[in-house]
Amino acid sequence: MAGGEKKKSGGGGKKKEVKKETGLGLSFTKDENFGEWYSEVVVNGEMIEYYDISGCYILRPWAMSIWENMQTFFDAEIKKMKVKNCYFPLFVSPGVLQKEKDHIEGFAPEVAWVTKSGESDLEVPIAIRPTSETVMYPYYSKWIRGHRDLPLKLNQWCNVVRWEFSNPTPFIRSREFLWQEGHTAFATKEEADTEVLQILELYRHIYEEFLAIPVTKGRKSELEKFAGGLYTTSVEAFIPNTGRGIQGATSHCLGQNFAKMFEINFENEKGEKSMVWQNSWAYSTRTIGVMVMVHGDNKGLVLPPKVSALQVIVIPVPYKDADTQGIFDACAATVVTLSDAGIRAEADLRENYSPGWKYSNWEMKGVPLRIEIGPRDLANNQVRAVRRDNGEKTDISRVFLVEQVKGMLDKIQQNLFDVAKQKRDACIEVVKPWDEFVKALGQKKLILAPWCDEEEVEKDVKARTRGEMGAAKSLCTPFEQPELPDGTKCFASGKPAKKWTYWGRSY
Amino acid sequence: MVSSLRIPALTSLISPSFTRRSTVSLRRRLHLRPPLAAGFSAQSAASSPTETEDRVDSKKSGRVQDRGSTDRVITPRSQDFNAWYLDVIANAELADYGPVRGTMVIRPYGYAMWEAIQDYLNVKFKETGHSNMYFPQFIPYSFIEKEASHVEGFSPELALVTIGGGKELEEKLVVRPTSETIVNHMFTQWIHSYRDLPLMINQWANVTRWEMRTKPFVRTLEFLWQEGHTAHATLEEAEKEALQMIDVYTKFAYEQAAIPVIAGRKSKVETFAGADKTYTIEAMMGDRKALQAGTSHNLGQNFSRAFGTQFTDENGLRQHVWQTSWAISTRFVGGIIMTHGDDAGLMLPPRIAPIQVVIVPIWKKVDEKTGVLDAASSVAETLKNAGLKVKLDDTDQRTPGWKFNFWEMKGVPLRIEIGPRDVSSGSVVISRRDIPGKQGKVFGISMEPSILEAYVKDRLDEIQSSLLQRAISFRDSNIVDVSSYEELKEAISLGKWARGPWSASDADELRIKEETGATIRCFPFEQPQGTKACLMTGKPADEVAIFAKSY
Repeated sequence: MAGGEKKKSGGGGKKKEVKKETGLGLSFTKDENFGEWYSEVVVNGEMIEYYDISGCYILRPWAMSIWENMQTFFDAEIKKMKVKNCYFPLFVSPGVLQKEKDHIEGFAPEVAWVTKSGESDLEVPIAIRPTSETVMYPYYSKWIRGHRDLPLKLNQWCNVVRWEFSNPTPFIRSREFLWQEGHTAFATKEEADTEVLQILELYRHIYEEFLAIPVTKGRKSELEKFAGGLYTTSVEAFIPNTGRGIQGATSHCLGQNFAKMFEINFENEKGEKSMVWQNSWAYSTRTIGVMVMVHGDNKGLVLPPKVSALQVIVIPVPYKDADTQGIFDACAATVVTLSDAGIRAEADLRENYSPGWKYSNWEMKGVPLRIEIGPRDLANNQVRAVRRDNGEKTDISRVFLVEQVKGMLDKIQQNLFDVAKQKRDACIEVVKPWDEFVKALGQKKLILAPWCDEEEVEKDVKARTRGEMGAAKSLCTPFEQPELPDGTKCFASGKPAKKWTYWGRSY
Repeated sequence: MVSSLRIPALTSLISPSFTRRSTVSLRRRLHLRPPLAAGFSAQSAASSPTETEDRVDSKKSGRVQDRGSTDRVITPRSQDFNAWYLDVIANAELADYGPVRGTMVIRPYGYAMWEAIQDYLNVKFKETGHSNMYFPQFIPYSFIEKEASHVEGFSPELALVTIGGGKELEEKLVVRPTSETIVNHMFTQWIHSYRDLPLMINQWANVTRWEMRTKPFVRTLEFLWQEGHTAHATLEEAEKEALQMIDVYTKFAYEQAAIPVIAGRKSKVETFAGADKTYTIEAMMGDRKALQAGTSHNLGQNFSRAFGTQFTDENGLRQHVWQTSWAISTRFVGGIIMTHGDDAGLMLPPRIAPIQVVIVPIWKKVDEKTGVLDAASSVAETLKNAGLKVKLDDTDQRTPGWKFNFWEMKGVPLRIEIGPRDVSSGSVVISRRDIPGKQGKVFGISMEPSILEAYVKDRLDEIQSSLLQRAISFRDSNIVDVSSYEELKEAISLGKWARGPWSASDADELRIKEETGATIRCFPFEQPQGTKACLMTGKPADEVAIFAKSY
């Protein structure tokens, strides 16, 4: 086993030994070596290939199709909201990048710079977008003139680059990633506020309905909000194995700060000059990493049916002397029946692998449902269906194939969510005094604590919890607030608490 | 062999011919048309803060004048093709110049055309067995060096990242100009046996080439494209794949974009080094220059030998894989603009048009307004439900006449007018963009949903095929069959394409380029029958070639 080899801890950016074909299965378990397990499962599940540049990964078709499935949903939804797609350049001139002070302070340390074209040095280095606010807003200033030009709602699907030095992790923290970034401008704050929540709801939908991951909608603290914005909302997920929160997607109200810097003005209906209200919102390929972490197990990936490139894999199980051709034909016919019903199905008819090898292979890749057809099934005009999420086996008559398979896929989708929610909920701990907080943090809990909502106090919490595992910080203040009895004190400062806020370590 | 491995699209997708004339006329227009100066002056903005300020200022001053004028005048196409092209891009809001010289902002109206291209091709790629994936944008410089010993050839076009996160990088990184090097690097790890073949992938991505002379859509520092990469067990399979993909492109061009491209094979001089064969689709633009609109390369084993991409065949022998690559870029959007259109502006094929039908309500008195708008919205609803892309222009800020001109300039294929009299008669007036004036206008089409829907769909189909027919006639009337170099020179000097038998040397081909500015665009797949004599040497020739000046 590869376990004999010394691996880098944390499963960082280094390339792994390529496992030989015989070595199906994982050398690490999710519970014991989560970091190594994750790095291995994304590679063996054929989602990711490591690459010679640390923090840059190749997204293989198996991962890309998940991204495309989410993209199809989200793109259609935002088009219904009259958001239009466009494309702004990758390259940012330093002039505009530096226009918004807080913003550049937030991003400058992570920027990658083009300094040469061929052999010659550029007169001025050119930045590669870490996000596109400063690329886009000079044009908003140009394009928006009167109230009739509003709202302006644009989105782009693109790659962005953030040259971070902290431990890179596929999908979760990579130096280049794919995302969508929406940028909208409105005449009034109310319109902007409304859209922030509409988009946040779409993000919740992606996580909960597509990826089967429970998330909490809430608002970020002043310290954690988007640099230069007014306020940030997010959907927050949680990884029980590491006890870390993870920001799933963000929807920001930028207020009028950027409008002021970039002079995005319009003439309102009364003929007066006013400034626009802006939002920006994004989700990225990080979503896929969260999905792997939440659902994967010791056999490999576990993909929710709604996003999986393949929902059903059909495997022939021929025996000696059995009617092999008949079994193969039944497999092919099953795929046709399912495909015609809109189910993503394929048969694995490779002859150089045993059925057992194929089971392991497709389990590693996380296909939600496996259908086996052997001589007995053929004789009984049935198939055997095996669920990836819980291993449950069911014999299905070929007469009711489509209905039954659809039903099972729905159940798998629901079960993945339920199990994930149960695990997450079991990690939530409500704490009040500081010592409880420290204890819960040590137990990898998702901590809900009463807070005074002061920036200094959050900085203090960070300072007091700093350590090998990283400091704790606020994750979000959930929109759904439990009752806060009068006189409740802040867990960290002892001052009167204003709200319940989630805390923990995070990715 | 290695030395000839120049990456496909560097030479093939982007040819370095951009005439002085167009640069000059672009500058001239800057002086003539202050309202547009904002967009164009961005062209010069190298990126220093002061220049950015300048740009913003000139924009602000331009703003006032633009607001003052109700008519957006564009240079007539017949008068100055290049000026028309730039005017149309600015006024129809297809694109804007980016903040860094040579870059471009693709605005929603232009991007929707790219989306139409993507939607069609993405389905075709999947139908033909390709999977999408995504390779990193950064390539270690050592990859590029390893890949081609004549890296000097295109190194001036490479954008290099040397600083990341505030630190000097250990190795400089190339911002991908195309992905063959990474793709082959990975193929080598993914391909072991014949069972792993064919491996067929595609990616939609941005690529960067630090070009000196740029033109929106046609040649920009950064552009969007798809790049397909495949590996096969045999030469025959690779050849079949390369031909299949050029066929997908050809069908797309004809059926969706209404561009009658000529598909064929590149000459040896024009084949990119590294490919055994390059197939191309060549389109004739409105100024009769050729635009290479898509290419498909049979790479043979050139890359696999350079990278050691091998597989074990059925007999247990190690073999190098046979490869192809193929690409279409946002340049194609430029091709659509420059193929169709007239003095009034764009003319979009219905299958590509972001808006297929625009509805303009017309009222004079206030009491007419509600009835007209109600009818207009219900017509819009009917057509939307029929799956058409519809825009209802109900603003009261502009006159109907202004709107007519505006949507004509934007190239919308069909216009529906609804006035008070139409409302009472339950009918509408429909005008075709491709037939100007009264001839293209039909009165009294019933608003009854089933009748209207059928009528509109039929007209859109007609427009689609009429644009193609018109482009075919234009193309055919501008291709001259030549049998001598003199005839070729004359045809080229008249701005036409010359087609003639060719079996002369590479040196002769280069001489023609030097003396006439024309290159061999392709040896078309469709060849005339009969014996042929080379137009240059008089010796027997197997094929005719097409010569033309190109973008």
